[in-house]
Amino acid sequence: MQRALRVDPRDATPIWRQIEEGIRRLVASGALAPGSGVPSVRELAADLRVNPATVAKAYQRLSEAGVLAVRRGEGTFVAANPPALSRGERSRELADGAVRYASLAVTLGAGRENALDEVRAAFRRLAPTRKGDEP
Amino acid sequence: MTETVPPAASPLAIRGLTVRYGRVVALAGVSLAVPPGAVYALLGRNGAGKSSLVRCLLGEQKPAEGEALLFGASAWKVRARAMPRLGVVPEEPDAPPEMTAAALSSFFARLYPSWDAEAVMDRMRRFAVPERVPFGSLSKGQKGMLQLSLALGSHPDALVLDDPTLGLDPVARRAFFEELVGELADRGTTVFLTTHDLAGVEGMATHVAILREGRLVLDEELEALKARFRRIRYANEITEERTEYGKELDAFDAVRVKVRGWGVEATVSNFNDDAFASFAATEGVVDAESEALSLEEIFVAVAGGEK
Repeated sequence: MQRALRVDPRDATPIWRQIEEGIRRLVASGALAPGSGVPSVRELAADLRVNPATVAKAYQRLSEAGVLAVRRGEGTFVAANPPALSRGERSRELADGAVRYASLAVTLGAGRENALDEVRAAFRRLAPTRKGDEP
Repeated sequence: MTETVPPAASPLAIRGLTVRYGRVVALAGVSLAVPPGAVYALLGRNGAGKSSLVRCLLGEQKPAEGEALLFGASAWKVRARAMPRLGVVPEEPDAPPEMTAAALSSFFARLYPSWDAEAVMDRMRRFAVPERVPFGSLSKGQKGMLQLSLALGSHPDALVLDDPTLGLDPVARRAFFEELVGELADRGTTVFLTTHDLAGVEGMATHVAILREGRLVLDEELEALKARFRRIRYANEITEERTEYGKELDAFDAVRVKVRGWGVEATVSNFNDDAFASFAATEGVVDAESEALSLEEIFVAVAGGEK
């Protein structure tokens, strides 16, 4: 999990929020499966080299939101039924990512069709085509 | 800096501290309070007064005015009594060069009733600090890790670290901070540290203070500090309606403004989202964007050359 979870201490977003959102994303995307264990506060803090209180704060908020569950004596786990990203959150994340990609395409001088083709190709590489994936 | 009375619960505090060396004023009425459980980073350029402040805090130096408080009592008076509750990593390793790690640990065991020899030995083994080599023959990294092991040996309530990673290589620095994280996770120890390693403490510090020429020019929570210090970039466009230029940044308390070929780049100390939204919508302000600053950039902006 540590490799997929990055915090940037230089970012003005508080570190606890970066951790909270990072874990939410990992859970929502399925990278962290329901019921699977997450590192202890101490392990994650040492790995990210951040204050353990910061990690504890993120974990506490995630527990209150039902994303993580603490089992006394055993550790911290992804909840059996974690709440999915709300529709608003999902479309905001998608829109943010799209703007970043579109500006990259413009910077590189790539045409709109060329850029969209790359998106389609990326979807094909990620997962076999299902109905609904094709525009 | 106005005089603030530290809350009684502050394990480490300083009140109106003034230190003079002849006619030179090293500290001019500095007050601060480290909240319990905080990691408080004191920053400052060389000669800003950090070392004098640490010496007073440890009760090694008597200030001309004011006082340093260890667990609520004058550091100068209670130094010996407070020591078991206080772990110290000095700037210059100060152990006798002929003593081995094992000998140092048993020496402290006689002084401190709460000494945890097993934990000390355990740490030293983990850091590959040889037990039977004289202190003077250890590498810089080994000396640093030994100092930290000894500082944590009495399970202190507070730690004072004086530029603890100075001269350590990146691997040793990393090990040092990871061990500190472990201590914070296990015991929530209050930490006061001075450092030049801003990137190293950026994720760990909860409070930051900056000393400049013997005065505290900044003392606040790191989160708040990062929210208000940001860089703003934009271009000015001449329009018919807009006749005034140069006042558009007034709301943000710019500390540094550079006019570049493509536009303006400003470091501001009073950023807020609402003001930025209306700034970005100002007639003739084009492509406004803002970005976060690293602690190092904030430090340079506050403690740097210009006054």
